[in-house]
Amino acid sequence: MDLSFSEEQEMLWKSARDFLANKCPKTMVREMEEDEKGYVPELWKEMADLGWIGLPFPEKYGGGGFSFLDLVVLLEEMGRACLPGPFISTVVLGGLPILEWGTEEQKQNILPQVCEGKAILTLALTEPSARYDAASIQIKATPEGDNYVISGTKLFVHDAHIADSIIVVARTAEKASPEEGITLFIVDGKSPGISTFVLRTIAGDKQCELTMDKVKVPKANILGKVDQGWGMIKKIVEWAALAKSAEMMGGAQQVLEMTIDYAKERVQFDRPIGSFQIIQHYLADMSIDVDSSRVSLHKAAWMLGEGIPCTKEISVIKGWISEAYRRVTAQAHQIHGAIGFTKDHDLELYFRRAKAGELFFGDADFHREIVAQQLGL
Amino acid sequence: MDFRFTEEEEAFRKEVQDFLRKSLPPDWLGVDPGPEEESREEVYPLALEMWRNLGAKGWIGLTWPKEYGGQEASLWKEMTLLQELAYRGVPGMDLAIAQADLFLNFGPEEQKRRFIPPIARGEVKWAIGMSEPNAGSDTFAVQLRAVEEEDCFVLNGQKIWSSGAHHAKYQVVYARTDPDKHLGLSVFIVDLESPGITMRQITQMTGIPAFCEVFFDNVRVPKENLLGEKNGGWQILLHAFGAERTYGLFIIYNAKRYLEQLVQYCRETYVNGQPLAKDPLIRNRLAQIAIEIEVGLNLGHELNWMATQGMPTVKASSQIKVHGAAVAQRMANLGQQILGLYGPLNEDSKWVKLGGRFRHTYLSAVAFSMAGGTSETSRNHIAGRFGLGLPRK
Repeated sequence: MDLSFSEEQEMLWKSARDFLANKCPKTMVREMEEDEKGYVPELWKEMADLGWIGLPFPEKYGGGGFSFLDLVVLLEEMGRACLPGPFISTVVLGGLPILEWGTEEQKQNILPQVCEGKAILTLALTEPSARYDAASIQIKATPEGDNYVISGTKLFVHDAHIADSIIVVARTAEKASPEEGITLFIVDGKSPGISTFVLRTIAGDKQCELTMDKVKVPKANILGKVDQGWGMIKKIVEWAALAKSAEMMGGAQQVLEMTIDYAKERVQFDRPIGSFQIIQHYLADMSIDVDSSRVSLHKAAWMLGEGIPCTKEISVIKGWISEAYRRVTAQAHQIHGAIGFTKDHDLELYFRRAKAGELFFGDADFHREIVAQQLGL
Repeated sequence: MDFRFTEEEEAFRKEVQDFLRKSLPPDWLGVDPGPEEESREEVYPLALEMWRNLGAKGWIGLTWPKEYGGQEASLWKEMTLLQELAYRGVPGMDLAIAQADLFLNFGPEEQKRRFIPPIARGEVKWAIGMSEPNAGSDTFAVQLRAVEEEDCFVLNGQKIWSSGAHHAKYQVVYARTDPDKHLGLSVFIVDLESPGITMRQITQMTGIPAFCEVFFDNVRVPKENLLGEKNGGWQILLHAFGAERTYGLFIIYNAKRYLEQLVQYCRETYVNGQPLAKDPLIRNRLAQIAIEIEVGLNLGHELNWMATQGMPTVKASSQIKVHGAAVAQRMANLGQQILGLYGPLNEDSKWVKLGGRFRHTYLSAVAFSMAGGTSETSRNHIAGRFGLGLPRK
C-alpha cells in the first residue's frame, strides 16, 4: 500500500492551484453564474493548451494519457476554485464514452477537437421524470432510411446550449425490460430541430431544457450497439458520480480550511472563537467528513484506473460526500455567522454548489440503493 | 498511489482466517474487542484458550524483538492480525500487549526479560490502573500516592474502571510521587496478589462484571518494579494514549461483523411473504451504515499506512475513534429497530434472534465513545496542536 501522490500528481495539483487562483477569481465565478454561456472561452483554450481537457485521452487523439486518479486530482482543484464551465460535461459525460465505445472514425472526428478545446460535449440523459433509471428513458428514436429521427424533451442537460455534440439517450425498441431497447446517439448540437433553454438554478450552473423536434441523426452516429445502451449509461453515471465527488471534495477541503482560518482570526469575548471548545469540536467533526471523503474518493478512483470493479466504492463515495459536503458547508456557515451568509463572502458559493453536487448523477439515496444491492440485499 | 495489500500480507490474512475458522466454535457470533466480554463465565475459558493459542502461534507481539519472544515482523502484519481478530470477534487478546509495548520503550533490560516473554507465550494477563474516581478524562489528576522508602514504594489510594483486573496477575499503576500535576507521576508494575490490595468488581449496564475497583492500602512495591524514571510517568502516559491509536478501527471492524449478521437476517426473515431485505427503508438504512463503515475502514487503512511511514497519527486515530464509536452506536440502534420486539430479548431466551448480540451491543456501544478516551477528548486532539492547530485561548 502506498497512499502518497506520485510526483506528477503533486505537480498537477500544485500547478492547477496556482493557475486557478490566478485565472479563476471569485468575481469571475459570480459573473459566470449570470453569463449566458457560463464559461470563459479564452480560459477554456488556455486549459486545453495546458493539456487539462485532453488529460485522460490517449496521446494519439491529442490527449495526455493520464489516469482517472489524475483526473480526480485536477477536479479537486477545480472544485476548490469553483471553476465554472463544461469540463465534466465535455470530458466525462461526452469524451470518455466516445473513447470507450466509439468507432475509430467517431474518435478521430471528435476527440482531437475536444483535446484542443475546440469542441464541447455533453450527455442528454434525464427527462422530465428527473430520474436516472432506465424506465425514465421515454423519448423515441425511429429509424428512417439512413437516419434515426428523434423527438421529445430532455431536461437537466448540462451545458447543452454550448455543446457541439450531444450524446442523446433514446428508446429504439420496446422490450420486456426497460433496460433493453435503449440506444446512444452522437447528435450534432447545431442540428435542425434542436433548441435549448437554460434553466436558472441554485448554483448558477447551466442545466438546459433540450427540445428535439424531428432531429435527424445518421445511423453512423450511433455510439456503441443499438438497443444495448443501458449498460453504457450505468458506467457513465459511475464516472460522472466519481468526477463530481472529486469536485465536491475540493470544495469541502477549501471550506474546512477557510473556516479554520476564520476561527483563528475572529475575536469575540476577547479571544479567537477557535479557542472555544464547541467551535473546535464542530471543526473536528467537519475534518472527519472531509478526510474520510478524501481517502474514499482516491480509493475508488484508483480502482477505476486499475480496472478493478468498483461500483460499490463509487457509490460509497458519492453516497457519503453528497451528505458530508452539505454538512461541512452548513456547519461552516454557523461558524462564520452573518458574514458568511452574504453575497460578499465566498462561503455561500460553496453552500449552493454542495446542494447542486449532491443531486448530480445520483443523490445519497440513489447511491445507497446501489450499495444495498452490492451488500446482497 | 496503490491501495493493494502485498501478496505476503494477503497470504498472512488468509492464514489468520484459516486459523480462526479452526479455533473458534462453528456458530461463533463474536464478542466486542477489548477485555469486557471475557468476564462472562461462558466466554472466559475460550478467551484463555485463544490467548494461549495465539501465543503458541507466535502472534502475540509480532513486532517485538525475538529475544523477548517476538517475531520482529512488520507493523502491517500485526495490524492484519488484530483487524481480523476484531472482525471475527475473537476474545483473548489481552491488555498485556500494550503493557509489553511500554516495557519495551521504557523498561530496563531486567523488566523486559522478566515480564515480556510470559506475555508473548499468552500465559499472563494484565490490567491497567490509570483511571481514578477523580481522574477520568483529566488523567493527570491521579491521586493514588506512592511514597519512596528504603527498599520499596508504598502505595495508597484507589483505581477504578480497571477492566479485567480480577483475572489479571499484574496491573500497571499510575501513581503520584510529587505534587506537580504533570511532572509528578510515576508508573509501577504491581503484583495484584500483594498484601494490602482489595478488589471489587463493578457490574456494567450490559450485566457483565468487567470493571474492577482496586484499593491500595500500604501496598509495598519493590523498587525494581518502577517503570521508567521516578516522576517520569508523563512520558509513559502519553505513549500509552498513542497506543490506543487503533481502537477506533477495531470498533469499526467489529461493527462490520454485526452489519453482516444483520444483512443475513434481513435476507432470511420474511414479512408478508417478502424478505425484509426487499423493504426500501431497511435497504436504505443498512446501506447508510455500510457506507459509514466503509469510509471508516478507508480512514483506518490510511492511518495504518501513515503509521508505517512514521507520520504523525494523532489526528487520524482520533478521527477514527470518534467516527467509529458513533457508527457502532447508530448500528446498534438500527439492529434493535430491525429486530423489533425480538431486539431487547436476553441471550438466554429460546426466542432470541442473532444470539442476543444486538441487545448486548445496544448497551455495550454506549461505552465505545468513552473507552480509550472520550469522543470529546478525541475531538480536542483533532482540533489541537497536532491536528487543526486551533488556539488554546
